Amino acid sequence: MDVSLPGGAAAAAVSLIDILEWLQTSGLSHFIAQANHLLVAGLQVIHVFGLIFLLGPLILICLRVLGLVLRDQPFESIIGQSRTLSLMGLGLSLTSGVFMFLSAPLHYYGNRAFDAKMVILLAALISYALIFLWTPMRLRAHAGLARAHVLLSLVLWILVCMAGRAIGFV
Amino acid sequence: MSRLLAIAETIEQSDLGTAIAEGRYAFPIIEGIHLIGLSVAVGLIFLVDLRLIGIFLPSVPVRELHRQLQPYVFAGFALIVVAGILLFASEASTVIVSPPWPFKAFFFTLATVNALYFEFVLARRPDALPDRGPLPSGIRGAGLASLSLWVLVIVCGRLIPYIPRWT
Repeated sequence: MDVSLPGGAAAAAVSLIDILEWLQTSGLSHFIAQANHLLVAGLQVIHVFGLIFLLGPLILICLRVLGLVLRDQPFESIIGQSRTLSLMGLGLSLTSGVFMFLSAPLHYYGNRAFDAKMVILLAALISYALIFLWTPMRLRAHAGLARAHVLLSLVLWILVCMAGRAIGFV
Repeated sequence: MSRLLAIAETIEQSDLGTAIAEGRYAFPIIEGIHLIGLSVAVGLIFLVDLRLIGIFLPSVPVRELHRQLQPYVFAGFALIVVAGILLFASEASTVIVSPPWPFKAFFFTLATVNALYFEFVLARRPDALPDRGPLPSGIRGAGLASLSLWVLVIVCGRLIPYIPRWT
């Protein structure tokens, strides 16, 4: 029997808190939090625009996969150009999100809505990557699976939005 | 201004306003719906704007993209407006004294006028929307105006909680 595991897990959890405490007292965190509350507001604005540029093209891809729009247009050109735009949005959202987290790591970590958002975000990102890797092939061979996948992906991003908006309220 | 404030307080103290403000989950859920409607409507409007400017999906005819996305833009827009009215009702007197709010209302009006002008005047001119090749400068201008004005609406909207009063 391995009895060291629970203790090991507790030690790992403590060290995560330690890392967050260190981050919270680090120069960067202080800079973001103290500089001006408008800096945080600016990060929030960028976070929203990232989301809009991430989701707009993704919704277009979903609608095309579901056969609701642009049925006469080749799927490859739509997904190719949408991916570029959507990835730019993802870059903006992730970067601004990381800086928002760094401004107050202990405030975010342990917040139930934030924790839920991170778990759902991980699932949404995996599903997002799979859309670009698999959907063009699947659309021909397994259209039903491709449709279910894009719908699941949209639902996951909607849940990310809802959990994100709840962070300030729980 | 004091009369406006009185009206805002009446709205806020209505059954609807107090129900949203006092419910534990109502406010964040409605804010989430406001954000999702925004991502759908403005996300798709931006795609059409970028097509008008000429940098997104140039091989897809503008008319096709514009007409086929329209129902989803309207659906998202309906979500934003309904959720927006509910949010406003719950904190009207706080919102109207916030400096970004009148700017948001101003840019929102301009963005709406621009969209209607595009729909009913510019797009109806003969040869306004050729399937391929560069679009007329007026059309490209309307796309750029739409993109810029919606950006300003969203920036002002997001700043409301961060800039609560003038002084």
